[in-house]
Amino acid sequence: MPERTNVLVVNDSMNLGGAERVAVDIANSLDRDRFGVTFCSTRSGGPLVDVLAPDVAHVSLGRTATWDLRKVLTFRQLVRDREIDLIHSHGRGTMKFIALSRVLGAVDLPHVFHDHFGWLHVNRSAPRSLREAVQRGVDDYLGVDQRLCDWAVAAAGLPAERVHLVRSGVDVDRFTDVEPLDLRREFGLPDDTVVFVMVANFRPQKDHPTLFRALATLSEAERARCSVVVVGSTTADPEYFAGCSSMAADLGVDELLTIAGPRDDLPEVLRGADAGLVTSKNETGPLVVLEYMASALPFVATDTGEITRQVRGTGVGWTPAPRDAHEVGDAIRELLDLSPDERRAVGARGRAAVEATYDQRIVTATIESIYDRMLERVLTPDGVGKST
Amino acid sequence: MALCTWNGERWIRPFLESLAGQHHLPDELVVQDDDSSDDTVALVRALAPTLPFEVRLEVNSRRVGSTANFGLALERCRGRFVALADQDDVWYPEKLSRLVHEFERDPILTLVFSDADLIGEDGRSLDRGLWDTRQVGRTLRRRPIVAEELAATTALTTGCTVMMRRRVVDAALPFPGELEHPVAPMRHDRWLTLIAAAVGTVEAVPERLLGFRVHGTQETGVLVGADLPRAVASGVGATLRSGDGRRADGLRARAEQLEVAAERAELLGDFGEARTLRRVAGDHRRRARIDEPGRGRLRLVVDGVRTHAYRLDGWGLGAAMLDVARAVLPRAAAGRSAGA
Repeated sequence: MPERTNVLVVNDSMNLGGAERVAVDIANSLDRDRFGVTFCSTRSGGPLVDVLAPDVAHVSLGRTATWDLRKVLTFRQLVRDREIDLIHSHGRGTMKFIALSRVLGAVDLPHVFHDHFGWLHVNRSAPRSLREAVQRGVDDYLGVDQRLCDWAVAAAGLPAERVHLVRSGVDVDRFTDVEPLDLRREFGLPDDTVVFVMVANFRPQKDHPTLFRALATLSEAERARCSVVVVGSTTADPEYFAGCSSMAADLGVDELLTIAGPRDDLPEVLRGADAGLVTSKNETGPLVVLEYMASALPFVATDTGEITRQVRGTGVGWTPAPRDAHEVGDAIRELLDLSPDERRAVGARGRAAVEATYDQRIVTATIESIYDRMLERVLTPDGVGKST
Repeated sequence: MALCTWNGERWIRPFLESLAGQHHLPDELVVQDDDSSDDTVALVRALAPTLPFEVRLEVNSRRVGSTANFGLALERCRGRFVALADQDDVWYPEKLSRLVHEFERDPILTLVFSDADLIGEDGRSLDRGLWDTRQVGRTLRRRPIVAEELAATTALTTGCTVMMRRRVVDAALPFPGELEHPVAPMRHDRWLTLIAAAVGTVEAVPERLLGFRVHGTQETGVLVGADLPRAVASGVGATLRSGDGRRADGLRARAEQLEVAAERAELLGDFGEARTLRRVAGDHRRRARIDEPGRGRLRLVVDGVRTHAYRLDGWGLGAAMLDVARAVLPRAAAGRSAGA
């Protein structure tokens, strides 16, 4: 059996979040015949540690600042102990930490940076510190969104041939053969309503107010046919949550809403729903759309990122403009007007699209081929040896 | 498209011809004439049937001024994207298609605006760009996504370079009365940009997509040549000679305008953006108090430095230095500021 390549997947923390989920899914799905995997959270652990495959060791460094020199030494030791061949980082803070480690000579390994930056709506600049970190510390760049890839070339100054668009994938198996949760019974919803689920922590970026304003555009008769279960943390930004609660009440749509809080049975919740919703201001994914599709749900998702851009117009869901309550309202209305069979047909198309294009195994295969090319570049002329 | 006209008979034909030559034609041209006394209206009526798009002309019965006139025009616009136009410019054929492309490429954008070539009365290039006449031009090239704070403190856009999504228009209308403040009026383009940044994302496109005509009769001009340093010097002088309270009045007026924008943002659920606007408004009020007589004025400047408020000012630490000078200069009287 040929020698396996040891990959170190690195991110900030293992808290629940889209980027963290992508990192875990990649770590879990790399071909074990070819890759050994270690996972390092440079700041802290979190609930996603439990989701890592049993053969993926997890190490938390407890870094408290980007330029934490003590942790650079700990990181160097980890890389040596685990005989790492390649580093795959997620998130700009982590990338900078690894770039620093390289500049200081603590590590000298191929480094691929996976960028999930979700604040393109407020910032597309590349300050000098970020530019230098990318140029000196990153070999290859994976952007989950074409706009990020454009940024990497135009603003961060990376050569185009080392910048790759890698759309996020979803672990389809997680959403296969799942027993649906009876949401009507669980939350006391009327039997004759269409139950939408919106998976979105109460954070400003998720833009719940656009959902509320969209619901306010529905007629009385339409409202009577609509229930929305919101899944996600209500404590991440208490001020925002308070503003949302008050707005929903002012608009008279609070009675359509069930705030379910965070759930650890998301696949079951989604399987029990009739449709998915997400009204974010901006996301580079959003990953939850793939989860809706994997759960065979038709959806309304604001057109904010690479995934909605790809599925736009393919008959798997509605992608209204972000922050546009009228467009979102129209989309909800159209979905409400579908018969159950029509809804199921849209959901089935989404599920088929996920299996064909967005299955994590397909995405991971693309990443593995990028690893291969990176490793080929650092091989010695006689084709042997590792980079360290 | 919203076009506001007033006594523009000299320019309207070349402008409309440039519009007819667009690669991406508008669906409609809403013309709002502000009671012209020349042949502008007759020319628009005569040319309308020859244009490859619908023209909807309305003439005001009395003059309302350009900001209110744009408000009237925007209320009649029906498009998904709305572009503003001035009667005296010349649009390059790619202008509309380029800006529409930005919106289609990136759905999160709510307002985009471009640079422009400055041209003379005769249409010849002045070899300068519109952004070159503004201190902020360099920032826009470096940071194309406009920070909300920057839009709140600086006039960034010129109407004829702007295209926005429908929802910006919906959030910005009706134009509030606070825009017409006699000491610190806020023009329609600045208001629209402020709202667009509060309820969405504003992007600066560094390409020059039109010829912006510089002439003596235009309502909003630009400073070129020796006029620019003269205006800067005059501004510094006025800042230091602020004993009559006009500057404080202006700052308070600006604060009121920002607070109205904050209310609009809050109505749409943009709570964080509303907080940002109120913070900037609070800073304007702090700086207005520097002009009031009494103790503690230097302390107000120190507070501003400590809370990084001067970062929001285009002059940066220069603004703090000017405030120090104002704080230590003797005040003759409270002037009009107390009554503002």
